[in-house]
Amino acid sequence: MSFLQPTILLALPLMALPIVIHLIHQHRHRTVPWAAMMFLVRAQRMSRGMARLRYVLIMLMRVAAVGALVLAVSRPLVSGWLSGVGMGKPDATLILLDRSVSMEAQDMQTGQSKRSTALGKLADLLQKHDVGSQLVLIDSASGQPQSLESPQALLDLPGTAASATSADIAGMLEQALTYIKANESGRADIWICSDLNENDWDAGSGRWAVLREQFARLKGVHLFLLSYADRPANNLCIRVTHVKRRQSAHRAELVLDVLVGIEGRANGRAQRVPVEFAVNGVHSVVEVELDAQGASLQGHRIPIDSDLRSGWGSVGLPGDSNPLDNRFYFVFSEPPVRKAVVVTNETRTGEAFRRALAIPAESGLQHRAEVLTPARAGQLDWEDTGLLIWQAPLPGGPVAEQIERFVESGRVVMFFPPDQGEGDQIFSARWGTWQQPGQEQSRVTWWRSDADLLGHADSGDALPLNDLRTYRIRTLEGLTADNPGTALARLGEDRPLLVRAPADRGAAYFCTTLPTARCSSLERDGVVFYVMLQRALADGCRSLAVTSLRDAGPGALGDRTRWEPVAAAEGDPGVSQREFHAGVYKDGDYWTALNRSLAEDRAPVTPVASVDALFAGLAYERIDDAVGNPGSLASEIWRLFLLVMALALVVEAGLCMPERKTRQSGFGDLSRVKREAR
Amino acid sequence: MPENSSHSHDFIDPKVLARLAGLGLHARLPMLGSVSGRHRSPIRGSSLEFAEYRKYVPGDDIRRMDWRAWGRSDRYYIKEYEADTNLRLCLIVDTSGSMNFAVNGVSKLETMRSLAGTLAYLTAHQGDAVGLYCAGQGLHTEIRARRNARHLRVVLDQLADIKGEGETGLADALHRAAESIRQRALVVVVSDLYIEPEVLNSCFQHLRFRKHDVAVFHLLDQTEVDFAFDRPTRFLDLEGGAPILTDPNLVGKQYRQAMAGYLADLQTVMHKAAVDYHRVNAGEPVGDILARFLVGRKHQKDGRSSLSRVTGRPQR
Repeated sequence: MSFLQPTILLALPLMALPIVIHLIHQHRHRTVPWAAMMFLVRAQRMSRGMARLRYVLIMLMRVAAVGALVLAVSRPLVSGWLSGVGMGKPDATLILLDRSVSMEAQDMQTGQSKRSTALGKLADLLQKHDVGSQLVLIDSASGQPQSLESPQALLDLPGTAASATSADIAGMLEQALTYIKANESGRADIWICSDLNENDWDAGSGRWAVLREQFARLKGVHLFLLSYADRPANNLCIRVTHVKRRQSAHRAELVLDVLVGIEGRANGRAQRVPVEFAVNGVHSVVEVELDAQGASLQGHRIPIDSDLRSGWGSVGLPGDSNPLDNRFYFVFSEPPVRKAVVVTNETRTGEAFRRALAIPAESGLQHRAEVLTPARAGQLDWEDTGLLIWQAPLPGGPVAEQIERFVESGRVVMFFPPDQGEGDQIFSARWGTWQQPGQEQSRVTWWRSDADLLGHADSGDALPLNDLRTYRIRTLEGLTADNPGTALARLGEDRPLLVRAPADRGAAYFCTTLPTARCSSLERDGVVFYVMLQRALADGCRSLAVTSLRDAGPGALGDRTRWEPVAAAEGDPGVSQREFHAGVYKDGDYWTALNRSLAEDRAPVTPVASVDALFAGLAYERIDDAVGNPGSLASEIWRLFLLVMALALVVEAGLCMPERKTRQSGFGDLSRVKREAR
Repeated sequence: MPENSSHSHDFIDPKVLARLAGLGLHARLPMLGSVSGRHRSPIRGSSLEFAEYRKYVPGDDIRRMDWRAWGRSDRYYIKEYEADTNLRLCLIVDTSGSMNFAVNGVSKLETMRSLAGTLAYLTAHQGDAVGLYCAGQGLHTEIRARRNARHLRVVLDQLADIKGEGETGLADALHRAAESIRQRALVVVVSDLYIEPEVLNSCFQHLRFRKHDVAVFHLLDQTEVDFAFDRPTRFLDLEGGAPILTDPNLVGKQYRQAMAGYLADLQTVMHKAAVDYHRVNAGEPVGDILARFLVGRKHQKDGRSSLSRVTGRPQR
């Protein structure tokens, strides 16, 4: 509990006033000569027990009344379940604000979102409490600590506004930990405002154990989780899963795949909702029927001008409890030529790659593949190439640097082992020796089927890697424990077949065998080989397109100053906040649409028990609040103390109530005397 | 009122005496006196009040034979009459320190003095003997009953000299009086009776056993009964015991309970011992107290009912 007028607490010793008055009262007794001492002695003997207890209670009530009065005047703020608040003035107060899309779920009556409710209550609480010398905000969008001058700034800062990003609570706590350590903050209060979205919390991550251990070492850090775990009812969200500009002889059109999701559906009845399409300023509405899982609109066509080579649009839903997931932006353009370059000394192998890459995966796309020898690698057109296949000794020097820049720009490189020679080290890896695996070691025993090059098809069918046979493989060396890469497929117990080396953007893959019949059945079986290369090519060429569809978040726009907003959900949020907000941005001929991530639409709530377990052993308190709840986190409770005082006075008066004065008959009325004696 | 005394007898109010002069003090039981008086005697005598018939036996005075009865029944009967005798009034007064308890300037001691003095005067005035026993811490003064005017002055002087001090010795005084008063007497006790009822019970049973007519004036003040104090008070023991500092709010209820229980027990003791018990408010006018007392005894004498019921003796 804390107090708005703490100096008045100095008057608390006044609680002893009733006792002092009692002692003075006793000291100022009068003296009476008395004859009937035998009854007095007897009465004193009888009064031990209940009468004395009553007397003590009277004293206690008087003391309580004075104490309650002093406390009421000092204007106490509720502790209640915030028992940690008021344990002393913290040196620093850190606010970890979850600005993810799911935090924008609103109370339809008050119009307040979870985020605004949490901010309002926190600002109110911190305004009333002493927050110490440092007040720091770490918002989930930027993830960077930001000093605040006053708690009221929480309500006005762009860094606390709604965003289309996801949150990384563990990352925010790491930032908080770093801040506390760097500033050597003594006692620190960390307030986490979140809706416990599973995507944001990632309770299964190994980072939590490390965080727990790190926080346990710090003394005086108190964690408060302001939780808004209730899910909105009947909330719809919309997303464009695929957009393609199709050009025919006489006309052009957009082909869209749209997904409408539903959350917290109250009943299973079919429901029709209007979906609004806006392209190039033209609006159209299509009604879709929702079932329990939502609705899917596949191949919806929107005619556009043939001259419109690139542009943007959006799909929207009527307003519901979360306005931020009711609109999805998309951009479109003519697809780029998918160009791949194969660098190899072996004509046979190079031809196998070229054939697999030159055949388009779908109509309307142009594929181009060319084969170069390592000596001609300098002539490679780096700008227009989306995929580089390197089946030669690993390069060093300027070529290696060029390849690394190629990957950093979002393109893909795949390294296949050369028959002879090792070459240098690149992406921390280098080729080892050729080996011939045994019968058991030649089969693919595991591969990553949920994503990346070997993931399941859209239909859910798995790639036939079980049929793949390897006869010769080359070991991969140099990947250390600190930089292990990600194995996408393994042979036998622990032999990597396909490894993805760590890279910030783009991708670098190492395949430890060759597609030729002498080394494996990749070319003969064909499917895995073709799909793997086509996916790598598609990924690499994505950065070649003039349009891109990205998840909002840090770095989504690269150099933020170059991008100009074309359309945004809530106007221009400012340069520093552009990458966190949904909208369409343009940089010259390049278009980018930023939207919330797919996980924000799907993630369930992390069970509170799991969240509590993440903070096990720490000074942690969870405060369950509800969106739109008007109750304050800290409210003045002087009325309660006045009530306590009144109650104490009433009890005291009751205890002091003199007994009914029955004038004892000393004289004459024997029956009454006997009755009283009983 | 006796004169020529060095002591002041102002505790006797002539107006009270004048008011009570016509009532007279009567014994409820037959008395054994030494001279003729106005009270009944257990012995047959020569008064005008018929008592009973009895058969003639040789040697009886034939002047007392009822000839009319002989004429009607042809049998000899002697006609007997009541004997009138005088009364011995033995006043036993409590001189303990607790009798100094005073309200509105009038102490129990003064009330006691006035009561006993007036009663002694009335008794002597009607020709009966008066004695005085002072019950202090031990029976320290004992004046046997005599019936001359000089003796009354001695009694009144003694009453005037009484000072309340020390603990009460009433129980011993009552036992001793029961033994030392040889003939039947009217024993009047004036005290605040701050003694356990069980102890008093044995005292009064002793007096009853000795065939004394016992009357008790129990001096109480309403303050002592109500115990209406409202702030911490230091109570000084008038009998010299340790003072008690207490909050009346804390012990008031228990005090009143103890007092009520005591009064009820005392009433029972008095009833069993056939004591003429009068609970007296110490501040009440003495004239009223004595008028009630004397009138009550007169009725009891005329009716002869209450005492007979208590003692279980047949009425004659």
